[in-house]
Amino acid sequence: MAPTPVTSPVPIQWYPMLSALFLLVGLLVTASFFIYEATSSTRSRSLLKEVVSAAMASTFLGFGSLFLLLATGVYV
Amino acid sequence: MGRTSAAMAVFLFLLLSLFSILQLVSSSPEIRVLSAERRIDVTAPIARVFLTLKVENAGTSEVSEVLVAFAPTEAEHLAILKASVAEGKRKKKTYVPLSVNPSESPDAPNGAQLYSVSLRSPLKSGEATTVEVLYVLTHLLEPFPAEISQSEPQLVYYRDSATLLSPYYIVEQITSIKTPSNKVESFTRVDPASRVGSELRYGPYHDHGPYSYSPVIVHFENNNPFAVVEELVREIEISHWGSLQIRDHYKLKHAGARHKGVFSRLEYQFKQSVSGVASFRHLLMKLPPRVHSVYYRDEIGNISSSHLHIDSQKSELEIEPRYPLFGGWKATFTIGYGLPLQDFLFESHDGRRYLNFSFGCPLIETMVDDLTVKVILPEGSRNPTAAVPFPVDQHLEMTYSYLDVVGRTTVVLQKKNVVPEHNTPFQVYYDFNPVFMFAEPLMLISAVFLFFVACIAYVHVDLSIGKSS
Repeated sequence: MAPTPVTSPVPIQWYPMLSALFLLVGLLVTASFFIYEATSSTRSRSLLKEVVSAAMASTFLGFGSLFLLLATGVYV
Repeated sequence: MGRTSAAMAVFLFLLLSLFSILQLVSSSPEIRVLSAERRIDVTAPIARVFLTLKVENAGTSEVSEVLVAFAPTEAEHLAILKASVAEGKRKKKTYVPLSVNPSESPDAPNGAQLYSVSLRSPLKSGEATTVEVLYVLTHLLEPFPAEISQSEPQLVYYRDSATLLSPYYIVEQITSIKTPSNKVESFTRVDPASRVGSELRYGPYHDHGPYSYSPVIVHFENNNPFAVVEELVREIEISHWGSLQIRDHYKLKHAGARHKGVFSRLEYQFKQSVSGVASFRHLLMKLPPRVHSVYYRDEIGNISSSHLHIDSQKSELEIEPRYPLFGGWKATFTIGYGLPLQDFLFESHDGRRYLNFSFGCPLIETMVDDLTVKVILPEGSRNPTAAVPFPVDQHLEMTYSYLDVVGRTTVVLQKKNVVPEHNTPFQVYYDFNPVFMFAEPLMLISAVFLFFVACIAYVHVDLSIGKSS
């Protein structure tokens, strides 16, 4: 019957580690995106690959920057 | 004709007799105060009065409320009024709080303010009960002389009545006033009055009628810090990602006898027992345990003269403003700290979340003239309501902070004349759908994705001017 305390969805101690992890993966996917852009010619380029790669990169970078903000104390 | 007029006369007679009977029954029930004991504590700048009333129902009908009266000067300085009744015997005494409401009475003299204390069970005729009342008065100690130099002690006037102002007949009453030291300049003599050390006693007085008032003035020395926060704005920001951030903006003033003449730092530093006895340097704040990232700064910058002591039950922050505060001097500063979310934010059974936090100022023994508490709820919160144990002014505002689109709903609670007795928990309820927590990462993700889309568009668009052969 006692009310339950509300906590954050992710344990606070994980924030710095998660931010480093997500940002690292995000930057790796960004690197692969730009390498694909640079090495492929106009004909062999596949829009699907580009968009999928961009979506994955932006997801990881977005979450990584969110956890970076939280780890530094800017509780958004 | 004769029969109808006779019937009318009989009817009128019955009506008149009914009215007179009603008058007898509905007149105020007779309560007599068998004994009234008042203990007034004026050691701190906030005057606290403990009143123990033993009332007896000397009338015929049941009474369910006891009236407490205040003179107009007392009523405008009244900060809080609490009543309770003791239940159980000896060791197992528990005090049950009673509800108190302001009330009116037709036969009160002009200006007297009445409050009615509701009893738990109606008092039958002939029964007696004991009611304990505590009330706190602010700004009632008047410094006299109004201006003192650096090396003088501070003397104040306390004005009150030797007999208790009450709508009832009082059989026996006694009043005792406790001063901070035994340096009492003078006090009005209303026999029998006596002084023993730091305690003055007026009484016992017998058989005083309703609303009897005999004003007395006590002139004594009170060097305890007269710290008054003129304005305090507390911002409590809730973030569902795990922390509660609090920012307090203080406007502090020394409200005792004004300082006149020069301030000699040499005299202040080398003759500390004589110089600046009425000034204060340190202030103590009681914060919840598990507090982190405490900062103390003002418009110039960080103030490093502070000490924080954290233990498992509470945290104590001792702050020292940039200069000692003499009479009439002011200091403005900001104190901020963070608290873990799970200590204060809860989810009730019906799905509403609520914040359980303590109202009032964390500074000990300090009154606040104007307190504003702003609870900033996360984005996407709906239907905010506040449950506060005493009357406050409420309204809603919008605050804009990091990564906000529509703004954060803010519940603003305002109260004047706040004393440490107001440091009780209050709750702010709101509805929150956890899906809204994704709004912030989605905003960041879409911003980055927009950059990638721009890159793809640049690569696909042909910007050459001529046709490539």
